[in-house]
Amino acid sequence: MSNLLPLTLKVNGEEKTFLASPHASLLRVLRDNYYWDVKCGCEEGDCGTCTVLLDGKAVKSCITLAHNCAGHEVWTDKGLGYNDEITRMIQDAFVECGSIQCGFCTPGMIVAAKHYIDHGGIADRKEIRKAISGNLCRCTGYNKIVDAIYKVAVELGREVR
Amino acid sequence: MKNFEFIKAPDVKAALALLDKEKDHAYLVAGSTNAMVDIRAGKVNDRTLIGIRDIDALSGIKFSRGKITIGAGTTISEIANSALLAKKAPALFQAANDFADPTTRNSATIGGNIANASPAADTAPPLLALKAEVIIAKKGSKRRVPMEDFFLGVNKTVLEKDELILAVEFSANPHSAFYKVGLRNAMAISVVTAAASVRKDRDGKITDVAIALGSVAPKPVRAYNAEKAVLGKKLDDKVIADLMKAVAKDISPIDDVRASAEYRKDVAPVIVKRVLCKSCGICANEGGTK
Ligand SMILES: Cc1cc2nc3c(=O)[nH]c(=O)nc-3n(C[C@H](O)[C@H](O)[C@H](O)COP(=O)(O)OP(=O)(O)OC[C@H]3O[C@@H](n4cnc5c(N)ncnc54)[C@H](O)[C@@H]3O)c2cc1C
Ligand code: FES
Ligand code: FES
Repeated sequence: MSNLLPLTLKVNGEEKTFLASPHASLLRVLRDNYYWDVKCGCEEGDCGTCTVLLDGKAVKSCITLAHNCAGHEVWTDKGLGYNDEITRMIQDAFVECGSIQCGFCTPGMIVAAKHYIDHGGIADRKEIRKAISGNLCRCTGYNKIVDAIYKVAVELGREVR
Repeated sequence: MKNFEFIKAPDVKAALALLDKEKDHAYLVAGSTNAMVDIRAGKVNDRTLIGIRDIDALSGIKFSRGKITIGAGTTISEIANSALLAKKAPALFQAANDFADPTTRNSATIGGNIANASPAADTAPPLLALKAEVIIAKKGSKRRVPMEDFFLGVNKTVLEKDELILAVEFSANPHSAFYKVGLRNAMAISVVTAAASVRKDRDGKITDVAIALGSVAPKPVRAYNAEKAVLGKKLDDKVIADLMKAVAKDISPIDDVRASAEYRKDVAPVIVKRVLCKSCGICANEGGTK
């Protein structure tokens, strides 16, 4: 068995120290410590449902070595929802646009959308599709997810004319 | 049996000292997009993981006196968003924009991409076509390896166990292009990729050319026969036909889950034509055989 090493991360604004195997993924560390809004789908980097923000950028936590993030800042969909106005707008838009069916892809989709909007994302359906191209959804057919992100971009005055 | 250690290297010096000490046990981890998958699959075991994600000196894109230097730890995102590369190395810029998906690109690094040495590594053909050099260090010494000598086979490179890639370096060339054939738009592992760079004289004669292909051999390869077919010539229908014929001699594709060898043999000449014409600033469909 592997030895456990202490790992200090700032998660959802709080500094935390966990014990984690040297080779643990960030996904495993988060889920082992009850951040269950971060979902585990494929664990191979393909589906995107494990997406979190690491230092403000969306990353797939299942292919992120946890100890490599020591001292860095991680935000999950739930933490962002309580603390960040943009994320709250995205979450509301997902509800209003009917972008959620089973909901399994939703936390990752919202974090990917948050990254897009934070980095100047505009109300352009093609660009939005590209931005969420690392996130798979088996239910919605994507249109309503794109609608929600589009709506937020419009609310922020990011229409393209 | 999983048996790992983890140590974070704060700077290059510390990373080289750790590599020197751990030797065969050492396993560098940058963006971890290959590393985590390999660890989970049990392909990597019993290693000291050396975290290099935080080494600032390994990341960044620099331009000075016509040369572009990209740190090994630079993410594919940074390359995909670089206005400098869009202008001065469009082949690499395009490859970064066709790489995986935006989220994976935020972690994946260029150093990890070439060190992993997949035959389908998307940054390899553009780096080969731009005649890049790989700058490699170990404790007490540094060396430069031309990109065309760097890959040895599937997941095999000239890197020694105690070596670290510091950067890749190449001369800027706006006349370069990249094209990827994948199975879908995002997150598609390449079926065939091609990149080219050219220099022309005032009459439009090609005075220097490099063409490279991915996913058509056990490693990313230069297409020397194809290059010979166009060097010293002006592109016209006949030269393009010769170019496309020559590609067959440069490749040894296999059947795999993504495509058949036959398909790759058919597609490779077409995309070589496309990247060469694009590098020369002409639309691939005008003056070309179909
Ligand atoms: C969902 C998904 C999609 C992908 N899509 C693509 C794609 O479209 N195109 C593509 O080419 N690849 C793709 N990949 C593969 C992978 O993302 C890339 O190869 C990536 O560039 C690896 O970089 P990294 O920083 O994550 O490497 P890591 O996983 O950290 O390391 C990979 C290897 O390189 C070594 N290494 C890392 N840095 C150095 C260094 N500075 N010096 C020496 N050795 C080093 C490591 O020891 C390890 O052996 C994909 C992977 C996933 C999971
Ligand atoms: S669980 Fe991470 S991408 Fe699928
Ligand atoms: S809502 Fe079910 S996977 Fe997207």
